[in-house]
Amino acid sequence: MRKILIIGAGQAGLQLGLSLLEHDYDVTVMSARTSEEIRGGRVMSTQAMFHTALQHERDHELNLWEEQAPGIDGLGVSLAGPDGSRALDWVGRLDNRAQSVDQRIKMAGWLELFEDRGGKVVFHGVTTSDLDALTRHYELVLVAAGKGELVQLFHRNPDRSPYTSPQRALSVSYVHGGGRRPEHPDMDAVRFNAVPGVGELFVIPGLTLSGPCEIPFFEGIPGGPLDCWSDRPGPAEHWNRMRELMRQYFPWEYERFKSADLTDSQATLAGGYTPVVRHPVGTLPSGGTVLGMADVVVANDPITGQGSNNASKCAASYLDSILERGDQPFDPQWMADTFERYWSLADPVTRWTNAMLQPPPEHVMNLFGAAQENEAIRNRFVNGFDNPADFDNWFLDPVGAEEYLTQVN
Amino acid sequence: MVSQPQTHPDTRSSRVRPYTLTGGRTRTRHQLLVETMISVPDYDAEFAETLMPESLSVYELARTPISLAELSASLVIPLGVIRVLVGDLAADGAVFIHPTGHSYQYDHTILERILDGLNQISA
Ligand SMILES: Cc1cc2nc3c(=O)[nH]c(=O)nc-3n(C[C@H](O)[C@H](O)[C@H](O)COP(=O)(O)OP(=O)(O)OC[C@H]3O[C@@H](n4cnc5c(N)ncnc54)[C@H](O)[C@@H]3O)c2cc1C
Repeated sequence: MRKILIIGAGQAGLQLGLSLLEHDYDVTVMSARTSEEIRGGRVMSTQAMFHTALQHERDHELNLWEEQAPGIDGLGVSLAGPDGSRALDWVGRLDNRAQSVDQRIKMAGWLELFEDRGGKVVFHGVTTSDLDALTRHYELVLVAAGKGELVQLFHRNPDRSPYTSPQRALSVSYVHGGGRRPEHPDMDAVRFNAVPGVGELFVIPGLTLSGPCEIPFFEGIPGGPLDCWSDRPGPAEHWNRMRELMRQYFPWEYERFKSADLTDSQATLAGGYTPVVRHPVGTLPSGGTVLGMADVVVANDPITGQGSNNASKCAASYLDSILERGDQPFDPQWMADTFERYWSLADPVTRWTNAMLQPPPEHVMNLFGAAQENEAIRNRFVNGFDNPADFDNWFLDPVGAEEYLTQVN
Repeated sequence: MVSQPQTHPDTRSSRVRPYTLTGGRTRTRHQLLVETMISVPDYDAEFAETLMPESLSVYELARTPISLAELSASLVIPLGVIRVLVGDLAADGAVFIHPTGHSYQYDHTILERILDGLNQISA
């Protein structure tokens, strides 16, 4: 049995660990927190996941909450006009359902499942000196520790990282008691609301500890009115402030949420980080090498809701590379190749996400405007969240956009 | 609320407990706190020969009950590594992890930092 160590019990580390157990690898996961601590801790994400990623979970019977979680059947777009009303308001349909299961539920459950299925779990906040000694004991060490301090082992790749500072101030609340969405009361959908110069408000239907909920999520442009969380308000004040900002900038959403309440006392989150792509192989003082995965190596802004999807795709891609390696050594060249294979999936996501952080160019405004009248455009945009490589052909390229518009009109 | 496209509800529920039922389970498992004591129930010289040097040192020292903190300090091995080595030995049934009490007087995180700091100084 080949011995593999995974640092970090998140989407990437646990999905890979659980899927390796099916193939009789000896897998140890090191987690900074126990399942109780994860379940009782703060929310971590809005974790909307689309079909391809959800299918990876189904493939390994990890879709334990599929029946309880609201099925997301579409994605709506609202764009504020100059007078505070909506210049655009449409919804597109997803070919396949999306879902958001609170990572507190999922990661705690998967961690326990991993132990049940014979994986070893060691609770420890891993340091580089731990890793330095541990690489000797394993044939492969993967660092799936998200955006924590261990990322320092992996150098930033400037060729793939256009930004050097956070592009949005993030703020999240999980709430109960939002009414049905008036635009389409019979359908659950993610809503993407944008106000030029201010930022975005996403609303994601999800499943949390206390049942189905809604997750309003601000992406505030730095220095703008939604960038106001540095005083770290307590939960009640956090949600009040979000509501007040909704009333001012997203009044159509405020109506839905004015009497909604937080799901629990740990249901708020604020922060921000710089989007970055790193070199995948970390070298320790002893000469041992470790391979980074998911957010450790590709951390995009959550504006396109792709990080968990990427983490799932990364785990699936690394699994294939590990299985195909058979008994051969997991040397640095194999590590670099393994990452490049994943990067072929993450690269289009990264380019699209980085583009979405900029004010929309004219061809994008034309597409969004035409989508108001044309269902085919709406659906193509929405299904791109599951297959971001498609955006290259029409959405990210002004010439392609024009050709597409002539074709569909 | 939603239909269940590609799941198998009947087989699934028997194999996997939903999150609501699993709460509290891991607490009964080895937590391997800094003050957790371990010992070797039946020393086996043949087994000892199969161990890597660091695991061997742990195995030898644990012939008399010893805490993770003491193991880390006397072997000058970082706590995380001690936890992994002890976890492996325990999985093989080679060491016994003494149950830890529940009323702690001190903060584990602080203890760990002190310990890792000590190891770094002496390393
Ligand atoms: C506000 C916000 C909203 C988001 N919304 C979405 C969305 O809608 N859709 C989407 O797809 N993505 C979204 N994302 C991104 C997504 O949450 C992440 O990309 C994803 O969770 C990354 O998975 P991961 O496994 O790489 O890391 P993580 O999920 O961060 O897991 C890493 C784990 O490692 C542990 N760890 C860290 N350091 C150590 C250490 N030293 N030792 C041991 N353990 C350690 C952590 O405790 C954690 O459990 C969002 C992110 C944010 C911040």
